[in-house]
Amino acid sequence: MSTAVRQDPPGAALDASAHAAVTIDRPADDLRTLWLDPRTQARIWAHFADVTARDDGTADWIARGPAGGQYRWRTKIMATSPDDIRWASLDGADVPNTGALALRPAPGDRGTELHLDVRFDPPGGIIGKAASKLFHIVPGEIVRKALYQFRALALTGEIPTTDPQPAARQGGADR
Amino acid sequence: MRALCWNGVNDLRVETVADPEILNPQDVILKVRLTTTCGSDLHLIDGLIPTMREGDVLGHEFMGEIVDVGRDVTKVKRGDRVVVPSFIACGKCWYCAHDLYSLCDTSHPKPELQEPLLGYPTAGIYAYSHAFGGYAGSHAEYVRVPFADTDCFVVPDGLPDEDALFISDAAPTGFMGADFCNIQRGDVIAVWGCGGVGLMAQQSAMILGAERVIAINQYPERLAQAEAFGATPLDFTKVDVVEALRELTGGRGPDACIDAVGMEADGTGTQHAYDRIKQALYIETDRGAALRQAMLAVRKGGTLSILGVYGVLDKFPLGLLMNKGVTVRTAQQHGQAYVPRLLDHALRGELTPAALATHRFSLEDSPAGYRMFKHKEDGCLRAVFAP
Repeated sequence: MSTAVRQDPPGAALDASAHAAVTIDRPADDLRTLWLDPRTQARIWAHFADVTARDDGTADWIARGPAGGQYRWRTKIMATSPDDIRWASLDGADVPNTGALALRPAPGDRGTELHLDVRFDPPGGIIGKAASKLFHIVPGEIVRKALYQFRALALTGEIPTTDPQPAARQGGADR
Repeated sequence: MRALCWNGVNDLRVETVADPEILNPQDVILKVRLTTTCGSDLHLIDGLIPTMREGDVLGHEFMGEIVDVGRDVTKVKRGDRVVVPSFIACGKCWYCAHDLYSLCDTSHPKPELQEPLLGYPTAGIYAYSHAFGGYAGSHAEYVRVPFADTDCFVVPDGLPDEDALFISDAAPTGFMGADFCNIQRGDVIAVWGCGGVGLMAQQSAMILGAERVIAINQYPERLAQAEAFGATPLDFTKVDVVEALRELTGGRGPDACIDAVGMEADGTGTQHAYDRIKQALYIETDRGAALRQAMLAVRKGGTLSILGVYGVLDKFPLGLLMNKGVTVRTAQQHGQAYVPRLLDHALRGELTPAALATHRFSLEDSPAGYRMFKHKEDGCLRAVFAP
């Protein structure tokens, strides 16, 4: 996976965008169908937010911030084509955002490349907070992990986890 | 259940922890029959690998009996006696399809911890820090095994547990190291290290047709085991290894050198003193005496096969490899590619992994087992725990 968190121009600290890509050895049509399945959305974003998606293309998001904070918004899929899915948050979002998934054929027999772009535009109400400080993880990690988990789901039918049974005991400190 | 937990540097305790459960549909739960120490565990115990967490259940080399099965498991069943490679592989991604199982694209639950270090995440592994997935280990009564249809291999009747155990890790790692050498008729293979992996690499090189295998180590009982396997022993504290290898190969040098030692290599002289000081100060994690020696000893155009586990080694004579045209092959074990073949070799008596099981302990006594293994007391090659 490659990622480039684009540098914001000076003075534009109130937005952030992130990009990541993966290649999955499956046809684009299959991947597009899996992406649009509401159950998929809930699973691949679970590291970042609780997502309740519906068949009408809308989804309610509750993203976790540091220190127990929560941000809520509703998204709607604005456009789809065989090689592109675009969505955006609706009015009233705590953190307005847009997203786009592009599907492109990979070279040789490698399957399909997925390129995911997500852009957060915190409103003026959250003065001085760049998007990278809003959530409990940074935007680059949000999109990379979502794609990693989507690839796992597409290839194996499951997402790797140790939760709630990590090797360590509950509350054990990093050493 | 009871399990051996890491609580900090050199602080191991047997504790009561929650039993594992099926979390994903391709999981099984194994009742552990045998589980063993590995030299790479010492890096964790000594605090040389970051992202360990208090309470981590150790152990990544094991075999056992399936006692619970996820709903999507089709090839193995409850009651099967199986051996499991230490790296967790899905069997479905591009890397698994190319027999590069330890590079599996889908089995790491925490890729974000590893990607900054390596560029791309590897497969997950049992009990090897949270940067390698944070999966609970096998030094316990039960262990959860994901992707059971790909990762559980039924042990044939007639093959004892002690042989099957090491086909989890030491044997496939050693065999892969020998396989990397692309052994041709007349080839001489030198192996640094006579621990479990080194000895298995030596036997594997013979299975793959090496003319001669040379085993390099300093412990008399380990060199004796190598000799019993048919290798020519070399004690690096008594001879100039590079000179001795030149002599043993008619001035050509070994066609391939296998490093089965890794980051905590013992050596002699000023380079070793330098490495030890830097490691003690955490400036670098690795010593690397064996690797440097292998690079010098290997013949021109030969192969360097690296199995030892490395973290950060800052003095690496790359020019030596370049000017000699050396091919470097290395990986964490792609065990799933080799296990069926190794079970056959073991059943036919060509591979004898049970020879590594020099000392046996109950799970309750496993901290004492690790002490004995770490300090190589009483000729301990591997401590084996029977939960």
